[in-house]
Amino acid sequence: MLQVEGLSKKYGKLTAVDELSFKVDEGAIFGFIGPNGAGKTTTFKILATLLRPSSGKAWIDGEEVISDPRRIRQLVGYMPDFFGVYDDLKVDEYLDFYGASYGIPSARRKKTIDELLELVDLSHKREAYVDSLSRGMKQRLCLTRCLIHDPRLLILDEPASGLDPRARLEVKEILKELKSMGKTIIVSSHILSEMAEICTHMGIIEAGQMVVSGTVEEIMQRTREGQSLEIKVMEKTAEAEAVLRDEMNMNVLNTADRILELPFSGDEQEMNRILTALMQAEIPVVSFSLSRSKLEDVFMQITRGVVQ
Amino acid sequence: MKAFVVNPILGKEFISRMRSWKSPLVVSLYLGVLGLICLGYYWMNEKQMYYSGFTPDIGPQIYVILTVFQLMLVSFVTPALTAGVINGERERQTLDLLLCTRLSAASIVLNKLLASISYILLLILASLPVFSLVYFFGGVLLSEIAWVFLIYLVTAVTFGAIGIFCSTIFRRTQVSMVVSYIIVFFFLAGTLALAAFLGTVNMGNSSQPTVPWIAYMNPLVALFSIFPSYGMHFSISNFIQRISYGMGGGGIAQSIPTEALAPWQYNFILDGSLAVILLLITIILLDPVGRFARFRRKSK
Repeated sequence: MLQVEGLSKKYGKLTAVDELSFKVDEGAIFGFIGPNGAGKTTTFKILATLLRPSSGKAWIDGEEVISDPRRIRQLVGYMPDFFGVYDDLKVDEYLDFYGASYGIPSARRKKTIDELLELVDLSHKREAYVDSLSRGMKQRLCLTRCLIHDPRLLILDEPASGLDPRARLEVKEILKELKSMGKTIIVSSHILSEMAEICTHMGIIEAGQMVVSGTVEEIMQRTREGQSLEIKVMEKTAEAEAVLRDEMNMNVLNTADRILELPFSGDEQEMNRILTALMQAEIPVVSFSLSRSKLEDVFMQITRGVVQ
Repeated sequence: MKAFVVNPILGKEFISRMRSWKSPLVVSLYLGVLGLICLGYYWMNEKQMYYSGFTPDIGPQIYVILTVFQLMLVSFVTPALTAGVINGERERQTLDLLLCTRLSAASIVLNKLLASISYILLLILASLPVFSLVYFFGGVLLSEIAWVFLIYLVTAVTFGAIGIFCSTIFRRTQVSMVVSYIIVFFFLAGTLALAAFLGTVNMGNSSQPTVPWIAYMNPLVALFSIFPSYGMHFSISNFIQRISYGMGGGGIAQSIPTEALAPWQYNFILDGSLAVILLLITIILLDPVGRFARFRRKSK
């Protein structure tokens, strides 16, 4: 459905998106995760034909994004990370306006608006002015707007940001509903936990580069694999290595500078067992710690977003 | 619910504009001012009439005053209606949403302009009853009024194009408003001053003086050139000459050059071309994936 290859966007010296490549299959919910300023919005804008990439290409349904913007716009429903509403219109007029802008015939528009308002549970607000809606309702209205022309690919930029927990839940429910309708969805977030449960696939982006992408299970697996244990000793490096290798059955990668590095995917009990074994062998350990891979760093940064 | 049968942008602008309380207020103020001017002029004349009797010229005179004043109003209202249409969408964060629909940049720009022009047409049509006063006194042909309205239309399109152009190249509405008004002021006053200056400078160089073309960009010049000759005789050369004298210059030669086209025709060609060029540039700048996209901006 969507393929991105070597996509870059530069603003003067600043590189917002740097050689980004990824693929989204038909019917998937792809979580595009990264800290603020990682290049998520820029990528989305390129896909929504609102920005010209500096280099690289993107295809949606086999069509290159900048070669025929009008066809792409018909295929894509884009929801930016802000509301963008006309305060002086009523809910149904607002939707009718965008429906007409997408060239949907008047009779079909009315029917579609009815159905969509039903889907996002806003039927009772159709005569209300957009201005009078709550944040959660506005967000649902905006989601409705990007569904009005029945796009196959939905690009949703931070749909849950700034919403209260209840409204977040509602947005998630709607996304699940849309998935069951067969839509392909790319949704961005700077919060990992928010996405993990509804996405089928994930891509983690940092500083404009894709750190990792794949199915949610694959990524979770790879995060655990990425850890390593670093043990620094005062002396007896060789003995320490022997203890770890022979008694604990561990694979020691490196022993430079009195630091032993070994891949580790166990829990704290496991760590304690290793330390006890080293103590019993009277190895003078000075430091003992878990180091994180780059992926984990990004992950931590993202998960911290929950607390922020 | 009102479904959009016309172009959605045009339809939405109509709904938004007519829904606000500003519209009836603007129309009322507009007609009020025009009406007051008519009445004021008539009262002034009434005093004179007491001594000199009824002057049949009062019809054409009121007509000239009304048309000039209405041109000023059109010039004043147009930037207010157009100089915020694109950056206004941007400030409301709706521009991106509009650009990613199937509406082309051309359709957005032209329909925004059309919506503003329609509103000005509404003001002009609403002023027709005031113009009917002129008929009460007689002395002006219907065709003459039609020409005047055509000049209003060309002026509104030109100034509207300037407003939309400014609203596309400047990010902030206030800036584009101010710049649009400065340009409109230049059209109304600056062109004449410049023409008078050029006329004076050229006087020594050429034995066959011509009217500097920049004078024809002024809608007032176009308007004056079609006034009924019995009302107020007007010749562009004399007009500029007077200003030139006013500026302390020597004025241009007395021989009035024979022009191939009437001033209002020059005006239509010059201002019309300018409007077309500005609109084309605006459309090119607005296209988000075009090579000259103005909105190739840094994302958050």
